[in-house]
Amino acid sequence: MTTFDATVPAAQIGAVAPAEGGVRFRGEPRPFWRLLAHGAVLLMLTLGIYRFWLTTDVRRFLWSNTEVAGESFEYTGTARELLLGFLIAVAILLPLYAAFFLVALGLGKLSSLLALLVLTVLGHYAVYRARRYRLTRTAFRGVRFHQSGSAWRYAVCALLWWMLVLSTLGLVYPFAQSRLERFKMRNTFFGDLQGRFEGSGFHLLLRGLVLWLLTVVPFAAGLIATLRAIDWTTLTDPPGGDDLSSWLEASGLAGALVYAGLTGIWLLLAFVVLYPIFQAIVLRWWTSGLRFGEIVVTSRLRMTQVLGVYARFLLYAFLFSVAAAAIVVPGAILLPQLSGELDSMPKEIVTTLAGLAAYVAIALGYSTIYQATVKLGLWRCVVESLDISNLAVLEQVSAAGQPASPVGEGLADALSVGGI
Amino acid sequence: MTISGPGTFFDGATSAKHAVTVELAADVLRARAADGTVLAEWRYDELETVPAPEGILRLGQAGSPVLARLEVRDRGLADAIDDRSLPVDRTGRGERRMRIKVIVWSLIATASLVGVAVWGVPQIATRLTPLVPYAVERRLGELIEAQTRATLDTRHAGAAFECGNTAKEKSGHAAFDKLMKQLETAAGLPMPLHPLVVRQPEANAVTLPGGYIYVFQGLVDKAESPDELAGVIAHEVGHVAHRDGTRTVLQAAGISLLFGILLGDFVGGGAVVLAAKTILQTRYSRDVENAADAYGVMLMTRISGDARALGRFLLRIAGTTHPGPKILLDHPETRDRVTVIERMAGSAPTRPLLDQADWAALKSICSSS
Repeated sequence: MTTFDATVPAAQIGAVAPAEGGVRFRGEPRPFWRLLAHGAVLLMLTLGIYRFWLTTDVRRFLWSNTEVAGESFEYTGTARELLLGFLIAVAILLPLYAAFFLVALGLGKLSSLLALLVLTVLGHYAVYRARRYRLTRTAFRGVRFHQSGSAWRYAVCALLWWMLVLSTLGLVYPFAQSRLERFKMRNTFFGDLQGRFEGSGFHLLLRGLVLWLLTVVPFAAGLIATLRAIDWTTLTDPPGGDDLSSWLEASGLAGALVYAGLTGIWLLLAFVVLYPIFQAIVLRWWTSGLRFGEIVVTSRLRMTQVLGVYARFLLYAFLFSVAAAAIVVPGAILLPQLSGELDSMPKEIVTTLAGLAAYVAIALGYSTIYQATVKLGLWRCVVESLDISNLAVLEQVSAAGQPASPVGEGLADALSVGGI
Repeated sequence: MTISGPGTFFDGATSAKHAVTVELAADVLRARAADGTVLAEWRYDELETVPAPEGILRLGQAGSPVLARLEVRDRGLADAIDDRSLPVDRTGRGERRMRIKVIVWSLIATASLVGVAVWGVPQIATRLTPLVPYAVERRLGELIEAQTRATLDTRHAGAAFECGNTAKEKSGHAAFDKLMKQLETAAGLPMPLHPLVVRQPEANAVTLPGGYIYVFQGLVDKAESPDELAGVIAHEVGHVAHRDGTRTVLQAAGISLLFGILLGDFVGGGAVVLAAKTILQTRYSRDVENAADAYGVMLMTRISGDARALGRFLLRIAGTTHPGPKILLDHPETRDRVTVIERMAGSAPTRPLLDQADWAALKSICSSS
């Protein structure tokens, strides 16, 4: 067994010039549906243990069907690594949860704030480390991606930015995104080719400002109207037994409930319509800001494409809901009659178990539909809308970086902050 | 004769793409560049198929840290490589076999986890409970009490959650204290009791860790004698004495840990964990309730109360309300319980626990609303 890698000056021999800008996604929806449906059944049977294998399969599918200049990506991670990372994460988190429990005994309410803070930082830490794992398991043309930078630093920055985002009702979100993305991309490498991010927070703000006004202004107005409708002195004076309705009138609580309800309905409608638009704006802005050395990415993503993806999801989810209702409702009526002869205790167990199984099956159904429509749909339309220039750079990238440990993935999984 | 065909080679050191001729020799595969240089020479038994799109056979060198890759699109050539190399697995048969193994082991692991949840966790909780210091139990009780209060206290009537604090209810509170004092003194627990009558319409009583006993208003309303009420409370004192509340918390924590953290929120929601808890706790409550019944009978006998009153009271609530309130649902079949209580209760002479005036006051402990 001899490899001549080291002795052959690579760029000279039989180098094939890559086609300019060609980005394609070759994945068909049918095999992806099959993969997910198969996975959902196994997830249910194994109470979720199968998720490491399903995640790996999904990534392999997405990665290997994504082509740049005629060459597809390769996901080199394995389910075994994910399982190991998860077990390590459990070993780290168990004592932490035990510590939270003990602290809760001593500190009371303060401890939940402390726990929230620690878990938020840990969540961002996990996200960054998980990104490192995914990058180092992504190979293209025989060279892997990798990521440098301190995950703790990222976690603290992310925490501070998110606190700012929350306290400004989301107005700072574009700047937070652009800063954090800059941090991530500055530390991202394809071989020895360093990445960077050139998306401007101000541009994102301009594009998203209308969305922000459409959600936050009605929210603030609704909140103020609700609070002003309430007569606080009457409210603090609790009513006696029967005069509940007159008390509701007098305290203005009835009016306040109307305002709050209207605001809620508006926000719900806005969420359904505006979220896909928001997603389209952010995705286009994000991909158009990606750079690797001289490689420049631009996106032609159209809003209608993203809206179409979500419309398909809503359609499938609706059909699934109808089908699920057609099975669950008669079941819920018949089951208590069938088990009528049993003692009260087994009966309770049987009905609870049946309800549990129905719940899990329905939740898995929605998640499968979401993955097959939204996840695959967005991946496809984002990938196919990309234009990449200066791909000639790909002829001179040297391999660098080592595979990273899967602990970050495990932590992200255990903390439920995973991504793809 | 060597079979050969076109391929694409990436050497793993740079990202440069090489068009090569793949030659299949007797026991090695060679990737030769256009100028005749051999770029790779891999033994068939060290070949490895790596993920690739449909229609492309992508090969690597197993166990190598370098990501050198050879891609073959020619079908005939790919078949020929597959024939020669054992590890090359284009049909995915080997992968499928391994996957089935994984699934079988996952199912076994699931069964074992459920087994631990059903039999292991209660055992561990039972062993651990006596080791929990009373100071910790009291702190735990305070936390859970605050939470229970927040869930039960609906403020629907605008009156306070606790009964016995208004001027009209004061005498009822005094009578309740008189009854509780007898029970508490006779019980001689290492930890003070915190009994409360709360404005809840159901005929029920709840015990929390740390000696908190909630007697629901519905129970007071339905009781026809002090002995009946005292019987149920004595049963609840049994839960305090056996530290059942603490054990339940430990069990719940154990089950949350098993199903929550270990298995992950794969459908996003604690509902599964919650339901699992309910089922498992129902499953092991029978022995616990019987033990509390025995304790209740013992305590009632010790204060010269009528130990049989508990049984009578249970039968009456079971007969009138359907479907039964919670105390009956997760309690063993009422008739069996009453039979056991009747057998345990001796025929020692009894004395009234409260006089007529006190009992009348206690009955109206929640009368303010």
